[in-house]
Parts: sequence; C-alpha cells; structure tokens
Amino acid sequence: MIRMRRVTKIYKGNVYALEDVTLDVEKGEFVFLVGPSGSGKTTLIKLLIKEEEPTSGQIYIADTNINQLRKWKVPYLRRKIGCVFQDFKLLPHKTVFQNVAYAMEVTGKSRRLIEQQVPEVLKLVGLGHKLDAFPDELSGGEQQRVAIARAFINRPPILLADEPTGNVDPSLGEGIVRLLEKINSTGTTVIVATHDKNIVNAFRKRVIALENGRIIRDQDRGVYGYE
Amino acid sequence: MNKIKYFAGETWASLRKNLILAVAAIAVVSVSLGLLGLVVMGWNMFSNMIKNTERKVGEIDIYLSDLTTQEELQAIEAFLASIPEVDAKTIYFKSKDEALQEFKERFKDQPELWEYIDENPLPNSYQLMTKDPKDVGVVVGKINNEAPYRERIEDIKSASAAIEKLENIFDKFRQIGTVAVIALALVAVLLVSVTIQVAIFARRREIGIMKLVGATNWFIRWPFVLEGVFEGLTGSLLAILVVMAIKVWILDRLIESLQFLRLSFSSGLFAVLVPCILVGGVVIGALGSAYALGRFLEV
Repeated sequence: MIRMRRVTKIYKGNVYALEDVTLDVEKGEFVFLVGPSGSGKTTLIKLLIKEEEPTSGQIYIADTNINQLRKWKVPYLRRKIGCVFQDFKLLPHKTVFQNVAYAMEVTGKSRRLIEQQVPEVLKLVGLGHKLDAFPDELSGGEQQRVAIARAFINRPPILLADEPTGNVDPSLGEGIVRLLEKINSTGTTVIVATHDKNIVNAFRKRVIALENGRIIRDQDRGVYGYE
Repeated sequence: MNKIKYFAGETWASLRKNLILAVAAIAVVSVSLGLLGLVVMGWNMFSNMIKNTERKVGEIDIYLSDLTTQEELQAIEAFLASIPEVDAKTIYFKSKDEALQEFKERFKDQPELWEYIDENPLPNSYQLMTKDPKDVGVVVGKINNEAPYRERIEDIKSASAAIEKLENIFDKFRQIGTVAVIALALVAVLLVSVTIQVAIFARRREIGIMKLVGATNWFIRWPFVLEGVFEGLTGSLLAILVVMAIKVWILDRLIESLQFLRLSFSSGLFAVLVPCILVGGVVIGALGSAYALGRFLEV
C-alpha cells in the first residue's frame, strides 16, 4: 500500500529531516511510527499526503509514484488518505455533524448520502448522541473522535494519525488508539505517529522507530524501546 | 445543483462577513464604470455634433458659377488633385441637383423653404478633404491664388477654426477620460482583490481542512471567484443605473434645449454601452479575485 524508497528530505539550511528512509507498509497493516520530537515522524506524514516534496527518493501509494503526480491530482490522492492531527483541526463554528459532513460536502457527495452516513460513523466513534454539539463543548478525547470520524467518513484505504493522543487526557489515549484499531479491522491501513510509550507497549503492533531522520528499528509486535 | 447551492451560500456568508470592504469595492467598480459610461456618452454626443455640422474639420467646399463649362470643370478638378496637401481620393463633384436634394432632405420639416422655388438656386460644387486638417488654410490660399478659371469659383468655404478648437478640446477630454477610467478600473481590481484576500485570510483554517480532506482546487476557489464577480457585477449594475439616470434627467434635456448645437446620441449606442459596462464589471471582479487567488491561495 505504501512504499518509500531511499527517501531523503532536507529542509532549508541543510536540516536533514529524513535520511535514506526505505519502508513498506502492506494493505491492512497497523503501524506505530515512534521516535522523539524532531526525529522526522511528522515530515514522513507530510510527504505521504504531498504537503512536502522529498529532496530525493521515491514514494509509492497504491502503486502510484506520487512524486510524479500532477498538481491537480493531489486532492484525489488526499481523498485516499484520512488524516488525524494532534490539534484536531475542527471548525469551531460548525457542529459535530457539520464538521464530519464537511469532508463529504467538499468531495461533492449528495445531501442524502451525508445525512445517512455521518450519524452512522459518529455512532461508530461513540458520539452518536452529540451530533449537534460544538467542538468547544467536547473534551479533547471527544474532539479527536470527531476528527477520526471525519478522516474515516469517505472510507479511505489509508489513515494517518500524527500524535493523535497528544492533546487527549492520558487515561483516554488508549480509547483513541482502540478506535483506530477498530478502523484498521475494516481493512484500512493505519499509521500512528506517536511518542506515547505506554500506548505503543500496550498494543504490541509493528513499530518503526525513527531517530534523527533514520529508521533505526522495524519490528513486528514491538515495544516503544526508548528510555 | 447541490454544489451551486453550496457555492452561493459560501459566497453570501463571506460577503456578509466583510460587508464594509465589499461595499467599498462595489462603489469603486461602479464609479469607474459609471465614468466610462459618461465619457462614452459625452464623446458620442460631441462627435455626432461635429458630424451634423455642415462641414467636417479638414473639409473644403468650392462653389462654382453656373457658367462653368465642362472643360473648365475638368481643368479645375485636375488642378485640385494636383495640390499635394489635398487627399485626391476625397475630391467629389456635387451637382446642383444633388445639392437641392440634400437641402430638401435637411429641411423636410419646413417645406415652405423650398416648395415654391421654380429654379434651383444652388450651385455646383467640389468637396474635398485635406490630408491633414491643419493644412486647410494653405489649400484655400492655393486655390484662391493659383486655380485656373479663378473667375468661375464663386466661393470657398472651410470648417471654422472654432470647431477645430472644440474638437481639440474634446480630444483632450476623451484622453483624460480614458486615462481616468483605466486608473479607476485598476483601483477597482485592487480593491476587489483586497476583499478576496481578507476573505481568504478569514477562512484559512477552513481552506487548510478542505485541502486535507481532498477538496479540488477549483472547489476551494469557486466561492472566492464568485465573490469577486458578484462585487463587479453589482458595481456595474449600479453604474448602469447612474448612467441611465444622467442620460434621462440631464443629457436628454440638454439635447432638447440646445437643439441648435445638433447634439444627439447614435442609435444603438446604449445597446452596446450597457452590455459593455456589465462585461466590464464581471472582468474587473474576475481579475481582482484571480489576482488574490494567485497570490494568496496556494492550492
């Protein structure tokens, strides 16, 4: 599903964010991308949704080389990849329902389909009873569930989560990842970038560890491993 | 259908949010296009006035005695064609009969002027244009002094210097008007673009999220383009109202009360001017939003 071949990303000022990264993630996998701040996790995610371009190396998503993707096709790439961020990125003046519906509206889905599917997915993330609430009326954990519902609403084959538990109460972080696991079980490939040691150790999934932009470990059923 | 409703809603919400700027942009669009309308109307009125006067600038009429023979006519015509300042193509022989026809046509509302004439009192004449209007004096002098059969030429008439001066003044008026219209149109484009920039800035979060969930570039752009075009179109509609009001309440009355000046509008002028103002508004709006989108919306 995702292939990176010798990918290097150098930011202005000769800052190596990623160096010679090669990795494969198969369809339906669940992967933790771990490493301390500044190790390149976020850069890797930005490269996958073409928010940044690699300095060298090739990236394939579903057998498409996205380096060569024409600009106007980028939105269609992004429809295949749901994204969840630490800061939720919800629109404050829209309700929970409207926030999720937004992802369907901008991709031109019909009103009927929206009214049918949005409550369904919100029920899946456990917010079926808060359709009309506004984001600031929700806890961090609940807001992140809304963001996950929005990322998942168009059934993308890939879901990327960048520090999804970062702004969530530690006791609720596990629930968030449990939800991502549930989404993974529907066949969606899930990559979670995190430096939350307890969560990584609790789930025992494939772990790819980054340090200073290099992959230092790639382990099935792995643990966090930094001290 | 769904999409059109969505775009219209987004555009309307955005316009309401920065109402003051939108109103300012609409006002400048309508001022610039209204001025365009005024300049065109003024110019049209004036050029019709010039056209309606007996002689155009640069035109010379040479009236001939009825005693002139065919050979003498040929000699005079050859002489006229040989004057370097004369545009030989324009030399035209107007017969007595033709002159009378024209006279009848011009005064068809006052038939008492010609109904009782037995004999045609109007002379044969040559009409010609100089290549350059300022050479009229030179040519008149040459005809006066050098023409063969000078005694057959009874009168030489050319456009008055006053008309020439007037034409120069109106030429200036048109030039200044054109420059002012262009300058104002540019200001209008910039102001529309500022409103769109503000709208983009106000919605930067939403735009980021739209990109994230895979909205196409045009899906993101359309509401902003519509906003600009709406401002341009509203401005041009206002301009048309103002222009028509000025026409009906001021210019038409002026034409009425100053009939001796023979001011008038060309028929069909407004059938061209009104659509031009509308198109101008749309173009200003579209350019303004295109500029803002190009500079401030990276998609």
